[in-house]
Amino acid sequence: MQIKRVKISNFRSIRHAEIELNKTTVLIGPNNAGKTAILEAIRIALTRRWGQRGTGFTEYDVHLSGTRTDPRVGDPVVIEIEMHEGAAAEWPEEVTETLADIIQLDPMSGQSSIIMRVSCAWDEGEESYVPKWEFLNLDRNPLTGSGARSTNFQEFFSFLPVFYLDAIRDAGDEFSARSQFWGRLLRTVQIPDALEQKSVRIFNLLNAKLLAADPLLGNLATSLSDISQVATTGSPGQANLRVLPLNTWDLLSKAEVIYQTDGAKPWLPLVRHGQGVQSLSVMFLFRSFVDLLLGELYRPDSTAVLALEEPETHLHPQAARSLFRHVQELEGQKIVSTHSPYFLQHIPFRDLRVVRASADGTEIRSLPREYRCRVPHLPSIDPIIAKAPRLLEYDRGSSELVIKGEMPDPCFRDLLLAYHGQPETDDFHARLRASKNASLEFIPDTELAKLETFARRIRGEIFFANKWILVEGQSEYHILHGMAKSIGYDLDENGIAVIDFQNNGNPECFAALGRALGYSWTMLVDGDPQGTKFLSSVASRNFDSTCMAERTRQLSAGALENQLVADGLQPELKAILVGQSVSGAGTMNDTDLIAALKDDKCSYAAELGAQCAADNALTKRMPSQLRDVITVLKALP
Amino acid sequence: MSELSSAISELTEAQTAAVNWVDGPLFVLAGPGSGKTRVLTTRVAKLLAKSPEKSFRVMALTFTNKAADEMATRIEAFVPEQQHRAKVGTFHSFCMQMLQQHGSHIGINPDFAIYSLQSDRVDLLRDAIRESGLNSDDDRFLSAIDKLKARLIQPEGSAKRFRDSASGERIEQVFRAYEAALSRANALDFGSLIAQAYRLISTYPGVAVHYRRTYAYWMFDEFQDTTDGQYRLIKALAGDSFRNIVAVADDDQIIYQWNGASFQQIQRFRADFQPTEIQLPTNYRCPPSIVAAANQLVVNNTQRTMSKKPLEAGKTTLLYPDGQHIRLTRYSSEEEETIGVATEISKIETSQLGEVSVLARTRALLERMLKGLADADVPAAIAQRRDNFRSPQFLWLSSALRLAARPLDRRALDALTGAFNRWFDTAILSDDVASAAEISSRSLLSEWAASVSSVGGERVEALASIAMRLSSHPSTFRDAITNSLEQFLQESAEDSSDLEEDRAAWTALVRSIGQSIGRDAQLEQFLQELALRSKEPPVVPNTVTLMTIHSAKGKEFDHVYVIGLAEDVLPSFQSVKAGEQSPEMEEERRNCFVAITRARERLCLSYADRYRGWAKKPSRFLQEMGLDLPHTPVS
Repeated sequence: MQIKRVKISNFRSIRHAEIELNKTTVLIGPNNAGKTAILEAIRIALTRRWGQRGTGFTEYDVHLSGTRTDPRVGDPVVIEIEMHEGAAAEWPEEVTETLADIIQLDPMSGQSSIIMRVSCAWDEGEESYVPKWEFLNLDRNPLTGSGARSTNFQEFFSFLPVFYLDAIRDAGDEFSARSQFWGRLLRTVQIPDALEQKSVRIFNLLNAKLLAADPLLGNLATSLSDISQVATTGSPGQANLRVLPLNTWDLLSKAEVIYQTDGAKPWLPLVRHGQGVQSLSVMFLFRSFVDLLLGELYRPDSTAVLALEEPETHLHPQAARSLFRHVQELEGQKIVSTHSPYFLQHIPFRDLRVVRASADGTEIRSLPREYRCRVPHLPSIDPIIAKAPRLLEYDRGSSELVIKGEMPDPCFRDLLLAYHGQPETDDFHARLRASKNASLEFIPDTELAKLETFARRIRGEIFFANKWILVEGQSEYHILHGMAKSIGYDLDENGIAVIDFQNNGNPECFAALGRALGYSWTMLVDGDPQGTKFLSSVASRNFDSTCMAERTRQLSAGALENQLVADGLQPELKAILVGQSVSGAGTMNDTDLIAALKDDKCSYAAELGAQCAADNALTKRMPSQLRDVITVLKALP
Repeated sequence: MSELSSAISELTEAQTAAVNWVDGPLFVLAGPGSGKTRVLTTRVAKLLAKSPEKSFRVMALTFTNKAADEMATRIEAFVPEQQHRAKVGTFHSFCMQMLQQHGSHIGINPDFAIYSLQSDRVDLLRDAIRESGLNSDDDRFLSAIDKLKARLIQPEGSAKRFRDSASGERIEQVFRAYEAALSRANALDFGSLIAQAYRLISTYPGVAVHYRRTYAYWMFDEFQDTTDGQYRLIKALAGDSFRNIVAVADDDQIIYQWNGASFQQIQRFRADFQPTEIQLPTNYRCPPSIVAAANQLVVNNTQRTMSKKPLEAGKTTLLYPDGQHIRLTRYSSEEEETIGVATEISKIETSQLGEVSVLARTRALLERMLKGLADADVPAAIAQRRDNFRSPQFLWLSSALRLAARPLDRRALDALTGAFNRWFDTAILSDDVASAAEISSRSLLSEWAASVSSVGGERVEALASIAMRLSSHPSTFRDAITNSLEQFLQESAEDSSDLEEDRAAWTALVRSIGQSIGRDAQLEQFLQELALRSKEPPVVPNTVTLMTIHSAKGKEFDHVYVIGLAEDVLPSFQSVKAGEQSPEMEEERRNCFVAITRARERLCLSYADRYRGWAKKPSRFLQEMGLDLPHTPVS
């Protein structure tokens, strides 16, 4: 059983957010965007401390905004956790049987779902934030009867134990006898009684011998015994020196991991190693815990939910890169936040969630395989679904229409008609429209597969950027960087990635990716048939003409070099070539000049870019299309 | 040895065979006093005890909440650790839970109300008729509607079920209006519980799959009482594949034929599931002479299992010597019968009175008997299902709770004002409260609280403040209950027997509800469970229990008096008219069979020469039992 979806409202930075979770889900986004809020929401929802009032939420957990300044007034914090079977009888027998009273069903297929809601509002009477946990039916109404019994929560939580590893992981703490994993692992160690007794005898014997070895130790013990004469009344006590453990638990609780970096190095306790090794070891400790103890401590069919903050902390980039594989291989469901481009490189696109702070609170973007529209099932939609079996599906387990791709207009119109005349037609139409529009952002698996191949190298960089400029090649990269700097919009400082799409795939793919994940972009193409083709292929991804006119620029004179010459930059260009010892550069005609520039695109472009950066007047003389892609992007949200 | 293993070791061979049954369909034909409940509870406990590492559940359904509570208690005593895996309840409670959890697929919200009161249903029907502009006489169709619902017939197209198409059309319209009104009120009546559960699983097979997957073993007690609708529900739930069903029945104890129970259901179970059959003929309850009389009586029926073995007397220790277990007395009139029986009973030691029961075919006979016992200073009470409380105090409390859960429920407001007016001798009109609430936009309950302040008095103010808080904080309803009960304690003692009975009933109800849904359940659920249960008070110690034979099913007493064993009484007038071969007469014979087999030590049968002034012959069943009829009445 794993969490399929989490809905969060009015929690910390989040006003309303919905996030789909996979086996592994990776959250990226700037600091303070709300990544930790998502992880914490899941942790709080799945941890209920019994009998303690006010646990889970505090006044700092309530989302505040301009219109809501008092956390005690307004809508409650709501967190909904949803679990759905992918196919009937997918969940283990133990899960379905134990949780029978809270399971909701797809009434046709019999697929099970569980929906749990935690809400928390200020209670006047109690004068505190009173959290309420409840299981819901498919209409999101709380279950009554046996579904509302509180024992269901204990059972449910035992199947989904949640573990939280925050960004600061100190091996010293985590490997202590009181820690969540290590301590519990140690406590399950069973020493046979005979061995225990034998050990205690040996400890005692050895202890006595050591004390006897030096009279100082013996005298010390005797003088310490005087304590008892002061401290106790009645029967006299006794103090002694103990240099050896009292029993095997005493010994075990001090057990520590030692680690040897390589064969030539000494064995050292973990805490003596670097931060990176320590941090990493905590994660592997979690793995051992899950492998060895989870089933025993919880249930054989429990799924650990691991909220993991910045696993790459303190790690060398190379280690961060391979870390993802280890995280992915961990048993259970992982929700990971990261700031590491290296870690990101191997994460499948579908597992990625981009978390951002917007004016309306935290916003989460992803590349879903399907879009879901909450409309009731009507018999009249069955023929529409039958006509598009690969695109549409109705999920009765969640009462949602599932759209598995881009929804074409005729299909959309049929659906609008089907919901016409319903009591809430306007509402249903609005939801259908929203889902249809969302579906236009669909990116199919085949396309993502291409991106996985071509764009892996730049993936880390572009997803941690704020906005993108799409260009055909490397020379634009250098020149745009220089120009932007001179107009006070340094691309690096502002988190702008310049993507040379020809080397990394195709432009429409990046444009669609940017739209779906919320990265604004502009694009520059050459004034040639190829450039025109690029533009039309981008437009074909449901970008309308207004959008295209705003965001894309095509050079009028052909390639970049042609445009530079056409815009009268020959003197600067020739000087650069002369400086680079290109023979005859100073006297070249335009045709030869263009040919020479094209011959060594990168080096002239780097130099021209550097000159632009230093010379605002030069930047102003540069082709307007280049200036435009910078200034338009700057203005985009 | 654990409680369970010692219970198992005490079983007879036939009982053990039934207890040890694991997979596949089984039909247990069990006579009265044969230990069938013990077999059922032991089997449930054993299935659970044998599989501590498993999580499958076992379902055991019966017909009364009392029987279900008893079964649950016994199972808990056997396997306290595993008890949560046993779902023990009534057909209605099972359907209620199914609809709470999955009803949304057919438009039922989990917080539905249960209309258990006939008066609520009649009111609802009248409103529905008025709103849809139907003929106001048509409220007489309620029983026709109930019959349709018992056969799981939906309103749409129900007209076709009637020979006369005109009246069929009319009933269909009323039926539609009634069901629509129930749905608008987010309410279900008892018939709907079964019918809607059936509609849910027959429309959405996925729901039935869930129950087959999670409940590995099903058991049905008193299977002979299963109605057609209940049987079809079981059948649909089991589908084509599920066969782990054990049904326990006695075809000689079908006494709810009028309510849809029929030998047919047993035959359908045999045909549909091809069960192995085990008979439990040994009777451990009654002395041999009663067993013999029961056997001689019931062989006169034809609607029963052909191969059924006669009951065997298995009781080993008897209080009275042979020849004293059955006594038959003839009186000259029913007045004499009443006085005679009351005198007899008054000779029994007070400490034994809890073990005495008087059974009769009709309630009228019991009322007379109650008076007779009162005249003889014998404490006695008629035990019968009560759909509602009787005292104005508890009527007030239950309707206040209802109003808190459903602030717009006009019928609850009517009940609230009615109870209050009766209690304080006031004349507050619920219509006035309702219209005042419309203007003030307060809830009905808080408006009511405001309106009674004019009445004055400490008690009234206390009730008003309870109502006020309940209305604004329904989740604090348990405090409201505690505070109300405290107020009730201050009631004057005179004429408070209804109040005392209701108080005792309330305490038992709260305990039983707590047992089945926990003590922290929300108000809506509390009310759902309350609606399902009878509000009859628990038996007072050292009190004679008066019961109709129908209510006596499943009960047993040391001393059983069966009165009115005359033609036209038992057997009833209708069955005599229908004739000796009629199903009605067979049902009457089973009534007699059930009545006599309640006795553990002594059975006192009696009849009078005249009932209601008419001369009546002694019941034919007396002769069938092989008893010698007295030549003259006692004087």
